[in-house]
Amino acid sequence: MDRKAEIREFLRILLARRRDEKAFSDETSLFLSGRLQSVDAVVLAVFLEENFGVDFAAMGFDQERVDTVNAIWSLVEESSSLEH
Amino acid sequence: MTDAADDGRAMPVSGLLSFLRGFRLIPRIETYPRVLAFAQTIIGKVTLLGAFGIGLWYTNPHWQTLIFLLAVITALPQYRRIVLTIGTLLWACGIWWRWVDYPRLVQVAILFILAALLFWFATLFRNSWFGRRPVASLLTGFALAVLLASDLPRGEPLRTVSWDFLTVAGAYLWCMAYSLLDIKSKRCDPFSLQLGTYRPFWGSTHTPFVKGAAYLRRIEAQSAEQLAVAQLKGLKLLLWAMILDLFLRKAFLPVVHGYMGIPLYEDVFEQSALRIGFPWYLGWASLIADFLEKLLGLSVWGHGIVASCRMAGFLALRNTYRPLASRSIAEFWNRYYYYFKELMVDCFFYPTFMRYFKQRGRWRLFAATFAAASFGNVFYHFFSDLNYIEELGFWRALVGFQSYIFYTIILALGISISQARERKIKDSSWFRGRLIPVLSVSSFYCVLSIFGHPEKRYPIREGFRFLAHLFNLAS
Repeated sequence: MDRKAEIREFLRILLARRRDEKAFSDETSLFLSGRLQSVDAVVLAVFLEENFGVDFAAMGFDQERVDTVNAIWSLVEESSSLEH
Repeated sequence: MTDAADDGRAMPVSGLLSFLRGFRLIPRIETYPRVLAFAQTIIGKVTLLGAFGIGLWYTNPHWQTLIFLLAVITALPQYRRIVLTIGTLLWACGIWWRWVDYPRLVQVAILFILAALLFWFATLFRNSWFGRRPVASLLTGFALAVLLASDLPRGEPLRTVSWDFLTVAGAYLWCMAYSLLDIKSKRCDPFSLQLGTYRPFWGSTHTPFVKGAAYLRRIEAQSAEQLAVAQLKGLKLLLWAMILDLFLRKAFLPVVHGYMGIPLYEDVFEQSALRIGFPWYLGWASLIADFLEKLLGLSVWGHGIVASCRMAGFLALRNTYRPLASRSIAEFWNRYYYYFKELMVDCFFYPTFMRYFKQRGRWRLFAATFAAASFGNVFYHFFSDLNYIEELGFWRALVGFQSYIFYTIILALGISISQARERKIKDSSWFRGRLIPVLSVSSFYCVLSIFGHPEKRYPIREGFRFLAHLFNLAS
């Protein structure tokens, strides 16, 4: 599974926990639209910290930056470019 | 018997259920292509504004100013955020000049300059202590200022001036916090646009409606069609607020307190505090009635504000959304007063979670939840009522807040446990999976509300005494 697909799959599981089975695209708003909640954001943050090495303590946490698959992906890319 | 009659008999139960499930008192007009197209025409916009104006006339005493600003913002969608700032500044002049006991325009002007300076400083010196922790610094600074002001001798002009300014600063404190949080965004708005979120003209309390500039950027209508959807949803929400308001004032209150003779919760609580006996079931009845009344009142009020925000072209989420359908304590907190919960999450929950206890697993979530639901909650409410601190002094006022502090600790514990359990619970039957959780959650909040009135400063023992009355344990 490619890395972006891992994020999609993780978000699908988070949505399923909220009994939300609706499809979502890479540009679908998930947090600001209310489909996911703040506690999901921290579960996602832990997932990104553990699997993608994102350091939110250094970058700061902004819900807008994890609102869509594409936003998360650009955050991951930015984080890895900071490391190198 | 005919086939048709058979069909008619075979259909009802599931047919009726699906009809009831899909039934909407107010239809989803924003999904009707013809309505959507009409709402994008000039006549359509005028009609929408006219209908909204009638609703405002019913619900809002300042409806003329509000509908005028909404008309301007509808006519100039390309300048929406600028109009929002200008409208909000005009609104602020109205509030601080005309709608308070005496004009405080100078204090507001100084406060806006101070907010601009803080914003500029945090932007320019991102790696300084203040730049890295702007919200924590702002809140600490405000708390220290209140502490110092409460120690100034009574009757001194400096004390009067300080409290006048702090009252205004307190009103904008959380708007400033959102502005400072926005600095970390990739597309941070300039301060001129941030000002549009400082108690916007559509209404606000100390809790910014609807959050800050970052949220407005995300929910702003980007096309004529999106604007039409937002405005149609705004009109629907205002209509819903009016229906709820009518229900509350013309049905709920007269039936509960008139026909059924259930006394007001405040009166029963006072009886308990004065050691006057009353039947336990009256205690329950007044408590439940008060809980439902406050829920309805909050819905009406919040819907009115969000409706105007939507009419201005921002598709904001509702403030209150079916809280009684919540199956967990955390879900109820999210649905009951969304923008307050978001404020606590943005200012306390995320910063704690992202910075501290990173190696402590579940304690990390627990600490963040306590920071938001307990510490942040107490901080917000304690510093919202500055008159009380001014009157009693800082430390006595804090002691007087014991009942609310207890409320927030139990609330945070409940949310923490609910978050931990949420991951384990699987769907079960309707009775166990839906009815029991919904009733348990509502009961938890209803009983906890005995301690959760920040404006009533009874000692905590009076809350426990009332609780004992409910179980017929107090004399």
